[in-house]
Amino acid sequence: MQNAFLVGLSRQVALSRELDVVANNIANMNTNGYKADGSLFEEYLATSARSDTGGRISFVRDRGIWHDMTAGQIESTGNPLDVAIDGDAFFAVQTARGERYTRNGAFHLNATGQLVTSEGDAVLGTGGPITFQPNDKQISIAADGTVSVREGANKTSTQRGTLRLVAFAKPQQLQKDGGSTFKASPGDAPQAATGAKIAQGALEKSNVRGVVEMSRMIEITRSYTQVATLLQQQSDLSQQSVDKLADVPN
Amino acid sequence: MRALSTAATGMMAMELNVQVISNNLANMTTTSYKRQRAEFQDLLYDHLSRVGTQTSAQGNMLPVGIDLGSGVKTVGTGRLMSQGSMTQTTNPMDVAIRGDGFFKVQMPDGTYNYTRDGSFKTDAQGRIVTAQGNVVQPAITIPANSTGLTINAQGQVSVIPAGTTTPTILGQLTLTRFINPAGLLPIGDNMYQETPASGTPQDGLAATDGTGDLLQGNLEQSNVDSVSEITNLITAQRAYEMNSKVITAADQMLQATSNLMR
Repeated sequence: MQNAFLVGLSRQVALSRELDVVANNIANMNTNGYKADGSLFEEYLATSARSDTGGRISFVRDRGIWHDMTAGQIESTGNPLDVAIDGDAFFAVQTARGERYTRNGAFHLNATGQLVTSEGDAVLGTGGPITFQPNDKQISIAADGTVSVREGANKTSTQRGTLRLVAFAKPQQLQKDGGSTFKASPGDAPQAATGAKIAQGALEKSNVRGVVEMSRMIEITRSYTQVATLLQQQSDLSQQSVDKLADVPN
Repeated sequence: MRALSTAATGMMAMELNVQVISNNLANMTTTSYKRQRAEFQDLLYDHLSRVGTQTSAQGNMLPVGIDLGSGVKTVGTGRLMSQGSMTQTTNPMDVAIRGDGFFKVQMPDGTYNYTRDGSFKTDAQGRIVTAQGNVVQPAITIPANSTGLTINAQGQVSVIPAGTTTPTILGQLTLTRFINPAGLLPIGDNMYQETPASGTPQDGLAATDGTGDLLQGNLEQSNVDSVSEITNLITAQRAYEMNSKVITAADQMLQATSNLMR
């Protein structure tokens, strides 16, 4: 009989963890370049304590969290330092923790004229960080990532570098590292991306779909309450059996 | 339950987003106001099971890990330094900057601040000052009873002194550029202060070496786009609502658990 409690508990632990994932998705509905997470569950078979119940009982356990790598909606902002990627690729960013990858293209300049992320980490070009000169104007970023400017009063454009776009053979193995960045997994080194295009003056929004997350949340709370009711009934059952069986006649 | 605090970070972020949007909307008609944009990033992840962990001696590994996120953080309220549109005012003391650059203004304590608001006035001594009475650099004094004030595209200020017919050049307004104008510190009154992030100010002349030129009789409007602000407001409000629903859901689940005990 205790098995019913334990199976129910395994379901409740899994559900509350799934709600944590949904909560994080909803909290990041407005985070540029954010990729939604989903939970994966698997059945875990265990031998029962007693052999007359059919041998095995099945628990649920969470096996992993997958990233929904579909592209987010592209919003046009008109800001020359906002770039969005059209295709499967990431920007490479040099952080203090090492190289990280992001789809959040809301870039800025720092005091030395380097192209940086909102956190101040340098955005990497094919030849290292991209640096602008004080009298550069009209920054334009082409579809292939070439960054060019008009230097001072010059009429022709000068190149300042090319944004480095990387892709991964197994994007599911990327690990989220906070700050809208991903960390490469040890067995999957970044490759130069092919077929991805860059759109200047646009940002990729979060790919969290409010309706989907809301319905998942309803599903989670309802299943959780159902399991709770089930546990309640189990508890009542054992209560009754204790009452009846242990009812010693006077 | 982690979901409670995660949703709380979401609500706080959206509250901040609405604050930024409301400040933009409140400054829709402020001369030379540059709109701000709240930027968000996901918070750190708790890696309960690491991707790539070996699950057997044969080298099988976990294709996906368990990474639980802890919400969202505001990483900055960046200022978008795009050009605002021009309105013609026909007032000769109104000057708009078309392109990069800031007017340099001396504050009463001797320090310099920077502004793009070119609605200048003259003070009792005839000096060109901002609406708050701070002297625009370099200080240019307009002689009494002179006529025909002209400020050309390069910032040269000329007048026709009383009793003469030929214009005299009184001086030239400078424009200051920063390598990262978005890194300036806004201090109100349409003024900005130099910060370590903005880079050092580079004084120069208008319409030379990439600096913008000046347009007399015009003012630069704010670059707030009301349509996009309102759409952002709707998104922020809905996101706030959804986060509050997550809190309700987590609360219901906790309630279901606590109801188990009678």
